[in-house]
Amino acid sequence: MKRLGFGVLALLLVALPPLLPERHLATFVLLTLAAAVTVGVSLLMGYAGQVSLGQASFYAIGAYTAGLLAVHGTPPLLGLLAAPVIAAVAAVLLGAPLLRLRGHHLAFATLAVQLILLSLLAQADWAGGAIGLQGIPRFSVGGFELRNDLGYAYLSCGVLAIALLVARNVVASRAGRGLRAAATSEVAAAASGVAVGGYRLAVFALSAAFAGLAGGVYAFYLGYLAPGSFPVLLSIEYVVMAVVGGLGTIAGPVVGATVIVLLVQVLNTLGTQPGMPDYAPTVLNYAVYALLLVVCVLFLPKGLVPALDRVRRGSLDKARSIR
Amino acid sequence: MTNGAELTVTGVDRAFGGVYAVRDVTLSVAPGELRAVIGPNGAGKSTLFALIGGQLAPQAGEVRLDGARIDRLSAHRRARLGISVVFQAARIFHGMTALENVMVGAHATNGAGFLAGALRLPVHHREERLIRERALECLARAGIADWADRPAEELPLGQQRALQLARALCAQPRLLLLDEPASGLRAGERERLATLIGELRAEGLTMLLVEHDVAFVMRLADRVTVLDLGGVIAEGTAAEVRADPRVIAAYLGAAPEETGPEAAAAAATATATATETQTATGGERDAGTAARAAEDQGQQNAGVREDSASARKGAEP
Repeated sequence: MKRLGFGVLALLLVALPPLLPERHLATFVLLTLAAAVTVGVSLLMGYAGQVSLGQASFYAIGAYTAGLLAVHGTPPLLGLLAAPVIAAVAAVLLGAPLLRLRGHHLAFATLAVQLILLSLLAQADWAGGAIGLQGIPRFSVGGFELRNDLGYAYLSCGVLAIALLVARNVVASRAGRGLRAAATSEVAAAASGVAVGGYRLAVFALSAAFAGLAGGVYAFYLGYLAPGSFPVLLSIEYVVMAVVGGLGTIAGPVVGATVIVLLVQVLNTLGTQPGMPDYAPTVLNYAVYALLLVVCVLFLPKGLVPALDRVRRGSLDKARSIR
Repeated sequence: MTNGAELTVTGVDRAFGGVYAVRDVTLSVAPGELRAVIGPNGAGKSTLFALIGGQLAPQAGEVRLDGARIDRLSAHRRARLGISVVFQAARIFHGMTALENVMVGAHATNGAGFLAGALRLPVHHREERLIRERALECLARAGIADWADRPAEELPLGQQRALQLARALCAQPRLLLLDEPASGLRAGERERLATLIGELRAEGLTMLLVEHDVAFVMRLADRVTVLDLGGVIAEGTAAEVRADPRVIAAYLGAAPEETGPEAAAAAATATATATETQTATGGERDAGTAARAAEDQGQQNAGVREDSASARKGAEP
């Protein structure tokens, strides 16, 4: 059943992009990148019990790493590979003190980190300052340049696939068992030899690496980066996607990201209808996140994927009992 | 077979809010010894275990394993040195199968990290196979092999306790701390546990056993250490301890009377809980009561309630 799910997803990711019209392809790329970031957020929240309200900072760090390296003549592939590494290193440096904080404290601390990062980026002339970093070359490997959106759609699909695969492998490994154990009883996990603090830091770094990698693709895709591209709302969006999709599930982030992105698209269309005030899209965006979170916590506390699983299993049981 | 470790505890102190839960406790357990630690509720037994297992750090004194100081090490480091704990409350991991729970126990002996798992390096596959085999053996040893693929939280209480023991064994410990492993078990399960503990002793594993059921303890242990009000009040063989007037006084909360050792032990079991309620009103033992309250914070109500239930049963004619 699990394998089937992966197969369907893979098929969808491969077959869908060429069928999409150009203007929807951009949405597809951003959706896929957001899903990759959300895989990390879901891992962090679902398995390490930590909430990060600053995940977009790692997305930004990855994007700026790739962008700056490429602007200074480094081969794009190296820049893209450096993006997750630098993001993970940043997460370790930040996480060592931050992960001592628990629950809401960590959430606020990561939020603060992002605000600080945005303000630093806006003042950093070497990174383009508030105007932004321009002239990032297109992504290329050994003379082959990725020009059109279709190429980036596949590149971001690759990133998402890597994130999903790594997340799945980690969860089903010795380290993942240690993490899941620590989620119910930290004391018993530690007594079994699980270095709980170290593990949480590692998951934080891993989630940052996913965000960094996605950020790297984003930099090459847009060719332009500004602090304004990474608002706090983006971080909140990842959390909402993770919660709506279902924490601690592998498919959850993909489902969550899809639902949210499509919903936002619809609302944007609605908000930009003639006669709507110009603040309508923003207001609608914020409102929909808030509403979705509330509805999800009230009616689907475990998220969409586990809920759908239950429905499916329920109907199977019914079918069996009828037989 | 197992290479039991030597445990030396020297003058350890631990206070909660200025009240000592453990005070100046010195204790030495030889390799392969099964040492029982008994004492009234709140005597400091669980705190002492936490100081050895690493859940708490002592404020003074030393804990040594095979001569090396471990009292500043975190719990997971101590686990890697070969200390395994069976907690008083069944602390099992939810959302995982029984088998996975036991596999977590092998954490202390293996090293494959995040990278090995994420990239599925050969070391991951090699270790997974070994861990799985060992975990299945441990489940069988604890008598719950049939539950291997069930979610751990669906297991009945007795099986959850057995699961915890299987997890501890999967770490291939050299020192096993058993905090009231028999509480809440039915007679048959209790017998089975006693047999398993006997086997582990024969294999040379060093064990420390806290138990309220004095008869259970006396039958199994090589030596017995009696704690009261956070300090050691007696130590020796089961017979020596039973005859010790201070032990009887600690359990009855009064001067020892002329009773046979068997009767004293039975009375001790029966009144272990009653003593606590009595002393709660006694002014002279206020410090002790506070210490008990401090220690009880760390214990789950379920465990305590079971103890009172079994103690009450013992008191019935």
